[in-house]
Amino acid sequence: MIEPLSKIPGGMRYYFGAEARLRRGVEDTIMAVFDGWSYEEITTPCVDYLALFERGMGYEAAHRAFRFTDGDGLMLALRPDVTSSVARAAATLFAEKTRPLRFCYASPVFHQRQLTHAEWRRENKQLGCELIGVGGRGAEAETLSVAAEILAALNLGGDYRITINSVEIFSGISEHLTLDDAERERMRQLVDTRDAAELQKFLSHFDTTERERISFSRLTQLSGKGEILDEARRIITNPRSLVALDELESLWRIVRALGLDEVCDIDLGDVSGLDYYTGLTFKIYVAGAGARVGGGGRYDNLTANFGRAEPAVGFVLDLDALTDVLMRKKGVATSDETVGANVRALHDKAAIEPSEILVDARVRRARGERVLINYAG
Amino acid sequence: MPELTVAVAKGRMQDETLELLARSGVSVSGSALKSRRLAIEDESGAYRFVFVKPSDVPVYVEHGIADCGVVGRDVLLESAADLLQPLDLRIGFCRIAVATHAGQSRPVTGALRVATKYPQIAAAHFGARGVPVEIIELSGSVELAPVLGLADCIVDLVETGRTLSENGLEVVEVIAESSARLVVNRASYQLKPTAVSRLIEALSRGLRKGVAG
Repeated sequence: MIEPLSKIPGGMRYYFGAEARLRRGVEDTIMAVFDGWSYEEITTPCVDYLALFERGMGYEAAHRAFRFTDGDGLMLALRPDVTSSVARAAATLFAEKTRPLRFCYASPVFHQRQLTHAEWRRENKQLGCELIGVGGRGAEAETLSVAAEILAALNLGGDYRITINSVEIFSGISEHLTLDDAERERMRQLVDTRDAAELQKFLSHFDTTERERISFSRLTQLSGKGEILDEARRIITNPRSLVALDELESLWRIVRALGLDEVCDIDLGDVSGLDYYTGLTFKIYVAGAGARVGGGGRYDNLTANFGRAEPAVGFVLDLDALTDVLMRKKGVATSDETVGANVRALHDKAAIEPSEILVDARVRRARGERVLINYAG
Repeated sequence: MPELTVAVAKGRMQDETLELLARSGVSVSGSALKSRRLAIEDESGAYRFVFVKPSDVPVYVEHGIADCGVVGRDVLLESAADLLQPLDLRIGFCRIAVATHAGQSRPVTGALRVATKYPQIAAAHFGARGVPVEIIELSGSVELAPVLGLADCIVDLVETGRTLSENGLEVVEVIAESSARLVVNRASYQLKPTAVSRLIEALSRGLRKGVAG
């Protein structure tokens, strides 16, 4: 069968008019906030070795990328993620630079297979920032502050929620149960989908008491403000998870001091996401979007792949998901034809030479006016 | 304005779902149910129920058009939807099973022909066992396929097993047990935590009452 040339590949689309303007405006707003916090823009290669993303994102996520071979037979991928590449640059090109490093970017990323049915696009523009070379709760709270400022700047103040967790809490539990990789992944899925009943069944295959099983399955539903950390301490006893709970509590104290506790929730059941996170993880949800619009966390091991281990934390926002929400909120879809109020239409009268019109147009342009030349007359 | 939109699977589980909701203190008036409207509110006005085909429930919930849904685990396994599943509602019990002619043996080489409404589940099941299969996707009366020689076996829902035995088929392997689940959209779970946990708590109460009664 011959496919018609008019066909567009699934998950790809055009942007035009009001939507394209809004999208550009959202990008500018976000990049201005990054700039305000002294994050320097970086552009990473659009095509890179698949091995980079396998190491960075994990095998599964990297293999959702568009993949192809280079002339020398090495596997390449169309960038499915920016963080992996930024981490490499930090450890190599910027090895001698004073820490911390602050990077931000606005880059399209591509996926051959979508993550979920609802996330239809295969090309997404990611707006993100990375703070590399500084550990501790302060750096984490900085990125949360940047994210909150962005969402407020987009007038989404009352409509969003940031959930925070630490992957170390889950890792501590799975280590305590001595789970192998497959079992760990199974348990992660059950916690992630909040399937308390199946989780209890799963745990009965391991050395657990009935009481432990019931309380561990409570974990899947533990979300709320600072007080849930006390409840978590009654359930969890392994030292690794307890350290993570202490860290989360210190972070929460900062979050509260910043007045961000209204928009943040601790959610111990949130264990989805990329393999590279080593501590804090957070997800950003906005009313009107059925899936999350962004997320991030701490990834202290990623730069070690490139010979220089150092702490790092960052997040990304999906420009397209945000534009969708704002588009629906504003309802500006019909104004594709407007070109703005300050347009000076220059009519093409038969008596006037085109050069005269263009001379006039250039004069007006030099004054910063917006012109629209009409050749129809 | 209802706080939550809940997609309910039409068909074999609909009545049981409404009974469970009523036991949980969420009731829909008889006259609303009798009307042919596809979206109705409960008597308190807190919930809007939409009745859709079972396989459409995960679609509405994953896209966030419905915040929650009630649907069988069989449908969830087939759709591989990215949803939260906080509650087993313990209604609509059935099994997803492999069934074939009584006494028929599986071909040693060559692909097993499998007729099913569940191509993903069937492919995953035989794939995990290293059995090459030719999946033949049908949308109804799957039992007919082995009878007429379209397939060697079927992968289908089995409730009582009567339809199978009447067509000379028997269950050779159970792939999974299924029952109805409450599913929740990931964003709704975070953005409407109070309303979602109120529904989860109400249904948990209804489930306990069901056990006691």
